[in-house]
Amino acid sequence: MVVVQRRELTFWERIYLPEIFRGLAITFKKMFEPRVTRQYPEEALPTNEVTRGQPRLVVKDDGNIACVSCGLCEAACPAYAITIDSQETERFIEREPERFEIDMLRCILCGFCEEACPKEAIFMSDELELANTTRQGLVYDMKQLERPASTLKPRIDYVRRINDRW
Amino acid sequence: MSFVIILIKASLIYGGLLGTAAAMTLAERKISAWMQLRIGPNRVGPGGVLQPLADGVKFIFKEEVTPDGANKGLFRLGPIMAAAPAMLTIAVIPFAGETTIFGIDFGLLSLTDLDIGLLFVLALSGLSVYGVILGGWASNSKYSLLGGLRASAQMVSYELSLIMTALTVVALSGSMNLREIVEVQNTGNFLDWHCFTPVVGQVGLILFVITTFAETNRHPFDFAECEPELVGGFHTEYSSMKFALFFLGEYCAMTVMACLTTVLFLGGYSVPFWEDAPWIVQVGTFMTKTAFFLFLFIWVRWTLPRFRYDQLMNLGWKIFFPIALANLLLAGAVISLS
Ligand code: SF4
Ligand code: SF4
Repeated sequence: MVVVQRRELTFWERIYLPEIFRGLAITFKKMFEPRVTRQYPEEALPTNEVTRGQPRLVVKDDGNIACVSCGLCEAACPAYAITIDSQETERFIEREPERFEIDMLRCILCGFCEEACPKEAIFMSDELELANTTRQGLVYDMKQLERPASTLKPRIDYVRRINDRW
Repeated sequence: MSFVIILIKASLIYGGLLGTAAAMTLAERKISAWMQLRIGPNRVGPGGVLQPLADGVKFIFKEEVTPDGANKGLFRLGPIMAAAPAMLTIAVIPFAGETTIFGIDFGLLSLTDLDIGLLFVLALSGLSVYGVILGGWASNSKYSLLGGLRASAQMVSYELSLIMTALTVVALSGSMNLREIVEVQNTGNFLDWHCFTPVVGQVGLILFVITTFAETNRHPFDFAECEPELVGGFHTEYSSMKFALFFLGEYCAMTVMACLTTVLFLGGYSVPFWEDAPWIVQVGTFMTKTAFFLFLFIWVRWTLPRFRYDQLMNLGWKIFFPIALANLLLAGAVISLS
C-alpha cells in the first residue's frame, strides 16, 4: 500500500488566484518558444542507414539481380508479403526469380527478409512513403523493387557491420 | 433617414460580431497551438487565415443527423435559443460616443440606447442557457441530458454573483444605461475607470471576469460540454450547421461578455487622456480592450484544467456570492462616504 503524502497547501496557494496568474505567465511564455511541429510533406523526417524503410532488391554492378530465388525471405516473412516464382538462368547461380512481388500493404517493415537472405540480395531502403489509389498498385513487382547496389550502399555496410558482431 | 442609419449601424455591428466570432475560432486554434508549441492551422489561405471559411463550408456540407426519439421541435429550437440571445445583446453595447461620418450624424454608435441596457444584457444572456438545456433535453441522450442539467445548475449558481457584481458598477455610476456608465468613466483620466476604484473595482473586475467564464460556458467551467466525461455534453447529438450554431452562439456570447466587461470596468470607449476623441479612435480603443478580454478567454482555457462540478458549486455559492455581496456593500459605503 502506498500512502500518498499530500503537502498542506499554503494560504497563498489556497486562494488560487496567484497560482492561476503564474500558470498564465507560463503559457504566455510558451507562445514565443520555438515550435516542435514538423510540416511533414514539406519537411520530411531525416533518414539514415538505420532507417528501416521498405525492402528493396539489390541489382549488382553487373546489372543482374543478386537474388538466387532461394525463398528464405518468403519463408521468413511474418506477414506473408513476399511471393516468389523461380526460373532457370544461364548465369552461374542457375536460379533467379521469375516473379518477385512484395505486397507493400502487408509488409510490416520488420526487416526479417533482410536478415534471412543468404545472398545480400534484399535490403531495407530509406523509402517510407506509400500511396496509391488501388490496392493492386501497392503490390510491387520486381521492376519496382530493384535498386542499384550503390544506392543501398550505406545500409548494406551497416548490416554487414552489425552481422560482424555475432 | 434614421431608418437607413440604423440599418447601416446594424449591418456594421452584426457583421463585426459575426466576423469576430469567426476570427475567434481561428484565434482559439492558433493560440492554443502556440501555447502547446504547435503551429496550428496553416494550410487554408496565407498562414491559415481562411480556416473559418473552410470550417463553415465543411459544416454546411456535413450530414444533419436528428437522433431517433429526439423531440424534433425542441431539438431544432435548441441551437437557435443558444445563438440568438448572444446576438441580440450586442445591440445595447455602445462602441463609440457621438459619431459623425461624412457629415452624417450617426448619433451614439450602438443600435439602441436603452435605459435598462445592463438589465437587458443580463436578462438575455441568462436566456441563452435555455438553448443548452433544451438541446440537452431534446436530444434523448443521457450525455446531452447531463450536460443540459449541469448547465442549468451552473447558471443558477453563477448568475447571482455576476448580477451582484454588475450591480456594484450600477451603484458606482448611478445608472443602468450602458452609455451613461461609460460617460461616467470617460473623463479623460483613466483612473476614473471603474476597475481603478480602490478595492471595489479590482474585486469586482476579477469576480466579473471569472463569472463571465461560467456564464459563457467557457473553460475552466465548461461542464455542459466536458468532453472527457460527457462525450460532447449538450451538443453530443448535434451535427452540421446546428452544431455550428451552438459554437457561433458561444463565441458571440464571449464577444458580448468581453464588450460588457470593457464597458463596465474599463471605461468602454473612453480613451486615456483624451476625453472627446474622434469616433474612430474610440472604436479602436474599445476593440483593443475587448480584444484583451477575448484573448483572456482563450488564454485561460489553455492554461487551467477543468474544475470539478462540485468545486464549481462550492465556488459559486460559498465564495463568490459572499464576496460579491460584501463588495456591493463596500461599494455602497464608498459612495455614501464620498
Ligand atoms: S520487411 Fe518483414 S514483412 Fe516486409 S517483406 Fe520483409 S520480412 Fe516481410
Ligand atoms: S532470401 Fe535473398 S536470395 Fe533468397 S529469395 Fe529472398 S531475396 Fe532472393
